[in-house]
Amino acid sequence: MMREEAFRFGRARHLVGIAGVPDGAWGETGVIVLNAGLVHRIGPFRLHVDLTRQLNAAGYPTLRFDLSTLGDSGASGGGLTRTQQVCADVDDAMKLLSERAGCQNFVLVGLCSGAQNAHTVAASDPRVSGAVFLDGYAYRTLGYKLRHYLPRVLDPARWARFLRHRAGGGGGEAKGAADPVFAVAPAPREEVIADFTGMVGRGMKLYLVYSGGISYCFNHARQFRECFGKVMDHPGITTSYRAETDHTYILSGDRARLVDGIGGWLARNFPPAAGRHA
Amino acid sequence: MRHDPELPFFFGADGGLFGMYHAPATPPRRAVLMCPPLGQELIRTHRLHRQLAQQLAAQGVAVLRFDYHGTGDSAGYSAEVDWNRCVGDAVTAAGELRSRAGVDRIVAFGARLGGSIALAAADRARFAEVIAWDPVVDGDDYVAALDAMQAALREDADRFNQPRSHADVAEQWLGFDIGDSLRRQITALRVQPASVPTLVLDSMPAGGAPRWEHLVSRRGKVAAIAPPTPWTDLRRLEAAILSHPLIQAVTGRLAEEA
Repeated sequence: MMREEAFRFGRARHLVGIAGVPDGAWGETGVIVLNAGLVHRIGPFRLHVDLTRQLNAAGYPTLRFDLSTLGDSGASGGGLTRTQQVCADVDDAMKLLSERAGCQNFVLVGLCSGAQNAHTVAASDPRVSGAVFLDGYAYRTLGYKLRHYLPRVLDPARWARFLRHRAGGGGGEAKGAADPVFAVAPAPREEVIADFTGMVGRGMKLYLVYSGGISYCFNHARQFRECFGKVMDHPGITTSYRAETDHTYILSGDRARLVDGIGGWLARNFPPAAGRHA
Repeated sequence: MRHDPELPFFFGADGGLFGMYHAPATPPRRAVLMCPPLGQELIRTHRLHRQLAQQLAAQGVAVLRFDYHGTGDSAGYSAEVDWNRCVGDAVTAAGELRSRAGVDRIVAFGARLGGSIALAAADRARFAEVIAWDPVVDGDDYVAALDAMQAALREDADRFNQPRSHADVAEQWLGFDIGDSLRRQITALRVQPASVPTLVLDSMPAGGAPRWEHLVSRRGKVAAIAPPTPWTDLRRLEAAILSHPLIQAVTGRLAEEA
């Protein structure tokens, strides 16, 4: 049985992470999983533990770790901006997996703010050959608004509730629809499209998995193309919209399907040396 | 050899238990073992446990945080979590802490089921004292509350676009698979007082506080801390639980001992 190892690492030995390196995985693509929001490295409902262990069983070296000041990691004290800090931390993580498992290329996995951080690093670091963005950048498109508002406008029951509410002196539904929307911090859409174009242009593979839990800004598989245009047709990009799931995959069946999906995408795009883990 | 004030490592007979040892700057004379709660409460209180450990270490107390088999970073699947193994893991962790810190006297701290585990392990682990924060004393009530929250989760419109099927949410509590045996074990749980002094820190919402007196009837006391902790508020299921009053209460108790 493969053992995981716990590490304190980084420029200031300020980072904490768990590496899983299967026997015979030297030089394989390493998978690094970033924090989802403020949840420590095990991930929401232990998603990152399930994911990394399943990927270890498939032959991939993995590292789940806490970025500076999250989970068990401290601050490096370097006076960097948060973006610089994230890039430096992931650089430290890649160096660790390189030392432990001989990895030269990496796939980053991130949910929500983790997707944003993975995006930032993937856009600039040539060692990143793939990325899995879970509920990453999204923008309310015209299609989104039609799908969201039209059924409501045409729903007599909703009108009746609205009129009763107005008669009672209350206000109407006052949800803003400002673009763009992201739980952490938005980036200009054109910038994100340019990043995606640059990533696939240098041969990166991307897997975008969006959930029904971000229905405030994303509500259909078609919205990938509505948001990001024709780059979504590139063969290096795979998309998946999972309307039934929530943002953090609280149900174990949803979590298992997500982990299987990531494993399948990795096997197709970054197959471990043939037959070794068949 | 490099001295890391916070050292992550694996330990236990099969090397499957994850621990984080907080070493004080000077050789410790006292030590605290943190017994975490289970399920989502473990994740929600992770930050608080770290803050508390750091403050205790700054007071000269050696601290070990750890994860039971099937939880956190430790080996095993969530569905494998077993009450008796959790108690056994706490005993193992106490031995590990004694070995690392070089002290025999260990105070156990635990929140919710972590407090219950600390009380159950007190004799075998030779704890000098147990500090239990809102411990679960009646498993029936706890299981009923978790079942009710899981049922509400199925139809939670803030989480799902459509209600999920009963099969989708079965055999889970708030994000974690549960085995039949754990359900039976917790349902049957009736925590008995430990044979060591016990401090119960009570932050249960008004009207929800169990009767703690039987836990502290021999030696110990119940101390209220405010504000109430929203353990069972589904809307805050993924919000971290932070509590300066809790940290002050525990560090204050350890300072009394110094």
